[in-house]
Amino acid sequence: MSIVEVRDLRKQYDPPKGVLAVDGVSFAIAEGEIFSLLGPNGAGKSTTISMLSCLLKPTGGDAVIGGHSIIRDPQAVKEIIGVVPQDVALYPDMSARENLLFWGRMYGLSGDGLKTRVDEVLELIALVDRQKDRIEKYSGGMKRRVNIGVALLHKPRVLYLDEPTVGIDPQSRRSILDGILALRDQGMTILYTTHYMAEAQELSDRIGIVDHGKMIALGTHEELVRIVGEQARVAARVDRDLDGMVARWRETPGVEQADLEGNEAILLTEDADEVLPRLFEAAAAAGSRITEINVSEPNLEMVFLHLTGRALRE
Amino acid sequence: MKKIAAIAWKDVRSTVRNVPALVMMLVAPLALAALLGFAFGGGASFEIAATRVAVANGDTGSPGSPTAAGCMVAGLLESPDLSDVLRVRRVADAAAARKAVDDGDVAVAVVIPADFSRVVFGDDPDATSEVELYENPTSEIGGSIVEGVVGQVLADLNGARAAAAGAVALRSDRAGDPPAARVAAAAAETFSRGGGTASALRITQRAPRVGKTENEVSVTGAVLAGMMVFFMFFGAANVARTILTEDRDGTLPRLFTTPTRHGTIIAGKFVSVFLTVLLQAVVLLIAGRLIFGIHWGRIDAVALLTLAAAGVAGGLALLIISFTRNAAQAGAVGSGIYLVLALLGGNFTGSAQTSGVFAVVQRLTPNGWLIRGWDATLRGGGAGDIRWQLLVTLGFAAAFFVLAVLRMRRRFA
Repeated sequence: MSIVEVRDLRKQYDPPKGVLAVDGVSFAIAEGEIFSLLGPNGAGKSTTISMLSCLLKPTGGDAVIGGHSIIRDPQAVKEIIGVVPQDVALYPDMSARENLLFWGRMYGLSGDGLKTRVDEVLELIALVDRQKDRIEKYSGGMKRRVNIGVALLHKPRVLYLDEPTVGIDPQSRRSILDGILALRDQGMTILYTTHYMAEAQELSDRIGIVDHGKMIALGTHEELVRIVGEQARVAARVDRDLDGMVARWRETPGVEQADLEGNEAILLTEDADEVLPRLFEAAAAAGSRITEINVSEPNLEMVFLHLTGRALRE
Repeated sequence: MKKIAAIAWKDVRSTVRNVPALVMMLVAPLALAALLGFAFGGGASFEIAATRVAVANGDTGSPGSPTAAGCMVAGLLESPDLSDVLRVRRVADAAAARKAVDDGDVAVAVVIPADFSRVVFGDDPDATSEVELYENPTSEIGGSIVEGVVGQVLADLNGARAAAAGAVALRSDRAGDPPAARVAAAAAETFSRGGGTASALRITQRAPRVGKTENEVSVTGAVLAGMMVFFMFFGAANVARTILTEDRDGTLPRLFTTPTRHGTIIAGKFVSVFLTVLLQAVVLLIAGRLIFGIHWGRIDAVALLTLAAAGVAGGLALLIISFTRNAAQAGAVGSGIYLVLALLGGNFTGSAQTSGVFAVVQRLTPNGWLIRGWDATLRGGGAGDIRWQLLVTLGFAAAFFVLAVLRMRRRFA
């Protein structure tokens, strides 16, 4: 049962000649699922989130969130979504507690219920001890946690997170990712946007890859990497006689293909772990030394490269 | 309603925590008022600019009397003793006098009727004549001075008529001339039977005016009123600019993702601007009273003027915000507008006694009406005396608010 259904969503700024930021995107998210939109900066991820948050009106298509259209019934949609914007959107001259109390009121909470929920969220984001400090005194990671906490106040059925780990330290990132997985375990549906392949791979039940406003691939991680095949790619350099080494490696068991590309050998194999020792042995036997070796397992980066001809981070 | 209150409270609290903003809103006007008050001597040495007066003396005189009473009235108004407060010119007739007021050339017109001398010097005890004062409703001080002068002349003439009537009555009762004391007593009795000072000769007024018991206005009080109005506009702008800074910082878009209607969010902003400026005015009024001993005037007039000022300052600030792209632009554009309005409205001159072109221009600004309102209130005027100033100011406020709301609804749709 899908809680989010996006149908041919489009957004063109200043039509008819303006930028087409989102070009007919369609996907569905099941209840309790983590769905990631993966794509480079400017791919249209944030614009999609903005439309699903009822901040921007689509110029085409529609989306139904929890049975409510974002076009016909935005108010009802806002009742059931929580939005974590890409940039920290808090009041820096107010404390974390004051921020949470204020935003809670904006979500319709009040009285003891509001205070109790704020206490719960402060526990959740591990800021009980610093709750009375002004936001402007917080580290980037702490601000991010409050930024997420605000969106959880009203216990939304669907949580949108728009690149919530940009610009923070690894420890805070780990904390946020663990928190997201915990929310999923509690049954919350999560729409996550990122340009970090590893995050999408770790978090997501399914991933949609977007580029230039279009959904270019959609599926589980396994389904997506199958697009580029299941062979690992090994790139190696040796200190002498590269041509001879390529010929020897071509005969090595487990190596399915070996070619010379520039000043390195490119090998394809079904099982890199098994083949790598053999490659070193063959080189030693030929009196050569491997000076550099890189193994690329099939991943989303390769999928994106395969589909667009560009690296994800370009 | 709870959400509006939450948004307003959040903004007011932020402003109160913003020390530079507080300095601008509270310390600057008090410091300027203190400096200017000190520079100009402080105390009650407030100088009043001469009021321009047009006199249409239509009095045709009285048979058998060498003196026209109308000339006495006009002459007294033109006397050198009053030249520092009244600048009188004669005009041909009542229509010309009224036109001079309508055109803003003079503040007050005095129209002396044709039968004035006939009533003053005539035998008919029931005859009456009315001197008309036609005045610019914003010229309270000038009107009061002219009324005082004309009223004094009419009272004297009424007294003379009463004395003459008493003497005549005594002579007809007894042979020979009565003693002066008896004539005086009879005159007083006749005068009081006639209804007081304006038994036969009266003043009619054609416009609202300030009460007769005017207070003297201290320079500091007048200057602080001007500074308060001026800095209320800046105070309102400071708070209104949070709409643009919140838009930039992402909190406004985030508010729009909550189940809070756009109208509620904008209304919360409106209320926060209004409350902050109101708070600023109250603090300045209290500080003015405690630090400088300023008697602001009657509480009804002070309260209404303060509310009207907060309304118009808030409305204008929001209107400017609705047309500007970012806080920096709003600051630059707003400062220019506020300064021009203050210069034209008389915030820096500390006096509402203006005339001519400047008086007309002053009336085109909300500041001008507020300054005139404060001038009248400082002199003891009540709410009724400043109703025009209040109405016009509230009209400005309403217009600004409506335009701002229309613009913002379109901008943040």
